[in-house]
Amino acid sequence: MSNSLTSISRRTLLRGCGAAMALPLLDVMSHRGFAAVENPPTRTAFFYIPNGVVQSVWHPQEIGKGFTLSPTLEPLAPVREKISLFTKLDRIKVAGTDGHAQAGACWLSSAAPDELSPAGYPLKKTIDQIIADEAGKHTAFRSLELSCNPYEDNKESVYFDNISWYGHGHVARSLRDPKKVFQRLFAVKEHAEHRSVLDLVLEDAKSLDRKLGRLDRDKLGEYLQSVRTVEQQIARVTKRQAEIDELKLQPPTKPWQAMSRDEFIQVMGDLMILALQTDLTRVATLMSSPERWGSPLMVHGVFNKPIQHHGMTHGQGNENVRRELSQLDRFHVEQFTRLVAKMDAIPEGDGTLLDNMIFTLGSGISDGSLHIYTDLPTVIAGRGGGRITGDRHVKSPVGTPIANLWLSMAQAMGVKTERIADSTGPLKEFTS
Amino acid sequence: MNISKLEKRSAIGTFLYSIVGLYVVCFAAIAASNEPDLPQRFDYHSIRGRQASGPSSGILEGEDHLVLKGKSRVQAMSNFGNGWSGNAHLLWDGKLGEAMETSFRVERASRYRLGVQLTDAPDYGIFSIHLNDKEIHKGVDTYANRVQLHAFVDLGEMTLKAGQQKLVFKLTSANAAARKFRGAGYLMGLDYLKLVDIDPLEKDPGNDKDGDDPKIRVAEVKFDEVKPIIAQFCIRCHGGGKEIEGELDLRKFVTTDDFLNNIKVTQKILKAIDQREMPPEDEKQPSEQHFGMLSTLMHSYIDQYVQASSELSPVVMRRLNRYEYNNAVRDLMGLRGDVYPLPEKTIRPARKYFNPASGRYPDAVTVGNRTLGKNQVEKPILTGVVPYAIDLQSEHGFNNRGDELSVSPILFESFLKLGSSIVNSPEFDRYCTTTATFFNAPPDLSVEQQVELARERLSPWLEAAFRSRVDRATEDRYVDYFARQVKTGKSFSASMKGVVGAVLASPRFLYVTEQKHVAVQTKELEKRDAGRSHELQLDDYELATRLSFFLWSSIPDKQLLDLARKGELQNPDVLETQIHRMLEDPKSQALATNFARQWLRIDQLITAVPDFDRFQVYYSRIGCEQWKFGLQTMVEPLLLFESIMVEDRSIMLLIDCNYSFRSDELQSWYKDATPFAKRQNRNRFNTNQQSYRRRPLDTRREGGIITSAATLTMTSSPLRTSPITRGAWVATVIFNQPPPPPPDTVPSIEEDDAKIEATGQTLRQRLKQHQSNKSCVSCHAKIDPLGFALENYDAVGRWREKYSSGLPIDSSGELFGKEKFTDVVELKDAILKHPEWFMRAFGEHLLSYALGRELEIADKPAVDRILREVMKDRGKFSTVVVGVAKSYPFLHKADQRQETSNAK
Repeated sequence: MSNSLTSISRRTLLRGCGAAMALPLLDVMSHRGFAAVENPPTRTAFFYIPNGVVQSVWHPQEIGKGFTLSPTLEPLAPVREKISLFTKLDRIKVAGTDGHAQAGACWLSSAAPDELSPAGYPLKKTIDQIIADEAGKHTAFRSLELSCNPYEDNKESVYFDNISWYGHGHVARSLRDPKKVFQRLFAVKEHAEHRSVLDLVLEDAKSLDRKLGRLDRDKLGEYLQSVRTVEQQIARVTKRQAEIDELKLQPPTKPWQAMSRDEFIQVMGDLMILALQTDLTRVATLMSSPERWGSPLMVHGVFNKPIQHHGMTHGQGNENVRRELSQLDRFHVEQFTRLVAKMDAIPEGDGTLLDNMIFTLGSGISDGSLHIYTDLPTVIAGRGGGRITGDRHVKSPVGTPIANLWLSMAQAMGVKTERIADSTGPLKEFTS
Repeated sequence: MNISKLEKRSAIGTFLYSIVGLYVVCFAAIAASNEPDLPQRFDYHSIRGRQASGPSSGILEGEDHLVLKGKSRVQAMSNFGNGWSGNAHLLWDGKLGEAMETSFRVERASRYRLGVQLTDAPDYGIFSIHLNDKEIHKGVDTYANRVQLHAFVDLGEMTLKAGQQKLVFKLTSANAAARKFRGAGYLMGLDYLKLVDIDPLEKDPGNDKDGDDPKIRVAEVKFDEVKPIIAQFCIRCHGGGKEIEGELDLRKFVTTDDFLNNIKVTQKILKAIDQREMPPEDEKQPSEQHFGMLSTLMHSYIDQYVQASSELSPVVMRRLNRYEYNNAVRDLMGLRGDVYPLPEKTIRPARKYFNPASGRYPDAVTVGNRTLGKNQVEKPILTGVVPYAIDLQSEHGFNNRGDELSVSPILFESFLKLGSSIVNSPEFDRYCTTTATFFNAPPDLSVEQQVELARERLSPWLEAAFRSRVDRATEDRYVDYFARQVKTGKSFSASMKGVVGAVLASPRFLYVTEQKHVAVQTKELEKRDAGRSHELQLDDYELATRLSFFLWSSIPDKQLLDLARKGELQNPDVLETQIHRMLEDPKSQALATNFARQWLRIDQLITAVPDFDRFQVYYSRIGCEQWKFGLQTMVEPLLLFESIMVEDRSIMLLIDCNYSFRSDELQSWYKDATPFAKRQNRNRFNTNQQSYRRRPLDTRREGGIITSAATLTMTSSPLRTSPITRGAWVATVIFNQPPPPPPDTVPSIEEDDAKIEATGQTLRQRLKQHQSNKSCVSCHAKIDPLGFALENYDAVGRWREKYSSGLPIDSSGELFGKEKFTDVVELKDAILKHPEWFMRAFGEHLLSYALGRELEIADKPAVDRILREVMKDRGKFSTVVVGVAKSYPFLHKADQRQETSNAK
């Protein structure tokens, strides 16, 4: 079963990727048996698509094993042995904030609908960060947050551009620039230089703390937490310095502003995979695009003129718009599939990296024209270290919170908790 | 004031009454002098200069205001650059010993501060300056090897009698390097004379009678008086009928307390009344007088509420955003320019032109634009320095709010790297003006001597970096850090750089913090707190910091810190003098760069993509989609803003202005049916920079920000205008009333107006059809007219009489249900008829920016006061700024103890 993918040659993959890929990264990926990964740990990653998907072509008719892929999901065919589709999982929308901002920012939230942050969102530590508390204990980086946000107009607020949060008001701000991602992960020497400064600034923070109000203390807490994380990071990265140097990685050269959509997503995806493969981190989130952001955007190879994704979702009553929108949905599924296939081409232990992944594709909105949060699009790729079987469509009973899935996922990743947000219990079918 | 008096008031008076409540007293005089039915057009065009409040100042142009005698003549200077005020100066030539003589007039005997702006050139001489036959300045050498502005010469303070003053510039000698003019003598160029009355007339004390306590307001209308009005016009839907509309049952509101206990509802009622949302259009309407009474009563409830129970909401300590970090480091180290490239800077000057002290904005500026997109500006300035990501704006605010400015491990890493990469960059020593005085030390110092020297330098420097008193322990920590490095053999300079790198990662540098505790709870304080006050006055350093981040987006300078240290900044006169000084500093350009850019949301133009085939005019090179000519429009509203700021004109010019800054190409874009016809080959455009000249406008369809091509383009779709987006932009930016988010079910319409028009319908008709739903109508009735009024501008902001299909354009509508208009000029008139709407909104935007937080109900009295002052000065820019900076919320902070008890 697992061979269905390894039979796809790397060349085939590359052809699918478009010629302009940052090749040096992929070359590294094919290294068998990267030293650090003897007993491969389970890793988890999230791939976010904004604004929901066209419902009529997303949902397959059949459920269970061997279901017929719907038109939008067709690109998953080559990896279907290792994917599961989940439907009828819901989040409860809380009135008072923008439908799109909440959809993205609170997609992974561990806040129940009645737990509101001061900004009015049901938002506290997100599931990826809860997992990182456990899975990040020993890795160089506790988590990695990436966004392929191509917009330079700063039109939307921080809530549209981030799905990962340490807590309410404390965003795990996503990196947008592949060069910076590369620097962060692999420019080891720079990290060590700064260690001596940390003590000094910690003392400053303490002297400041005595004067502050309660809300300010929370803010200073963010700072202190960051200092400590960086402290650990420096220590752990230094330990692995030799190994990383040996990879002789070259940073991506092309500026992201000059990349086409697929190129941008794939380069960011490659960096994410590389970090997971080398066990520099076990938790990652990748936004293919930010929520809403109505500015026109060119999607090469799919449309010949710039499109407005958000505007299209509200125009899908029109048949032509709906058809175009489903092409865009399909494009996103293709991008996800390519990353999944790359993971499955990386040998690890007795199988592949994908066998040790829980890689979730999803959106915080199901039907974009109505801002609906029920029946959220959710696909999980990977076998989660042998926990998850693939090739199935799991349809949950109406009203099942998606938090049940997050709870199962967290438990699989070693988090000891019985409840996340409004979860009613683990999603039984997650591991069966 | 009772109702019978109210009835006699003119229409304008009543309206103002409804808006500003009690403060009508000061407006009544204005209204009374007008014919009740024919109000004079509000004059805002004549507002100039900073005379109205604070020290008055005047600029006397050499070419305009000074008496020309003998060989004096006017020379146009635009060939030499943009810096000359009025683009000209007064030119004189003579032989050694001769003198240029002129005179000027002062109207009032007073004490004045005098200064002069001269020109330098290769054949200019050395002059002594004499006022009324007394030498007041010696030996100004105006030689330079090129033509340029001399540094401004401050001539000091002097007492002048009213009347003509004789001013003489005597040619005493010349620089050895200067060459003679026509073989015989030397020249002199006088750009302008600056005269500041530093002993202005006492203000009429009567004006400030209610100024002692901003929170005290008196209700002038009693509930019993409006009860019949409510019964007649409101109850049928809100309580009397079978169904209760909008979940509001007014039968439950029978006492003052009912309104105070449901203050959110009271606010909604006020808004519905003031904007004529209620009663609905098709219902019977109360008279203006009744509206006025209802409004006044609701205002008074809100003010009572604020006075009794509402505290200022706290300003959360906030991290510097990327723009502020740049400015702070630049000013702290005395760098010659920016630390890293800032896409935040929309305008990129070819030469320095921003000189607010002159009071004159140049008539032509040569600046870069974004024709080539942002990438053009991303060349590193200092090798190895990588800025952190731009901070995003709040949904309806600015990117300086603590609750949205987080620090994550990634960002903290960036700060660590940034600090050390700046000082260790190979270009740093040349780029930094304090290298010699701060980083370098004399050779052969012992370790002890080096440490001593470091302490001497770090002590004042840390105060500036941390914007606060620095205790001995903190100072010791950094000096010890220095000592450790020196002892390991590092040089003095390298060790100092190490300290600076660390300071730039310290929370005391990176955050704007205010002390929320009172260390000792004295009896006095307890007594005070027994009343309403749970707010503390800022300490002087905190005030200096708020001021500098408000006006400069940077740290306080030496003068502010000196005043803070001496505890003098809280003195209202000192404060006001400082505000004006800060506005006259070129650093105040930050208000345009940072505030105006975000307020207008002008960045949104960057990603506007008008359809390439239909709007070829938007693209500068035929066949080349990424070179957008239309991005030139982006600087137009910002240059207007800067000119209003520098010349201290009325903010109403932002609504309707008779001049605009445009390049030749941009002028053609607005004016010609087929632009660029004269320039066949559009590839020849200079895509880096253009000269934007101040041009008088011949139509009121143009001018101001609402009708600028930039805002009209960024609120359109690729293939058509988007009246709803335009309307929402106007509601948000111009009136500070962002519409609520649209409901979840939004019907869509075609993205191409050609397809709509093919069915014989206009966009407006189609939209109307879609909003037949009652729940949509109430909001859209307010937003849409603002957008439809702009339908005469196509999707790239160019005027059109008809749609391309030939269908007629209907741009008529009603502003907040109060003012009917038939076209965009009448819309501007409608806004000008109620200047207080825009002035209030602008004041709110600016106050929110200055505070770094959202405004709350407790800020309302402060906004009312600002509005009152601004109305008095007919929208003068500096009055808004001074009003904000002297407002109660700006000078105070929420007390921690209260905050805790609220938190539960």
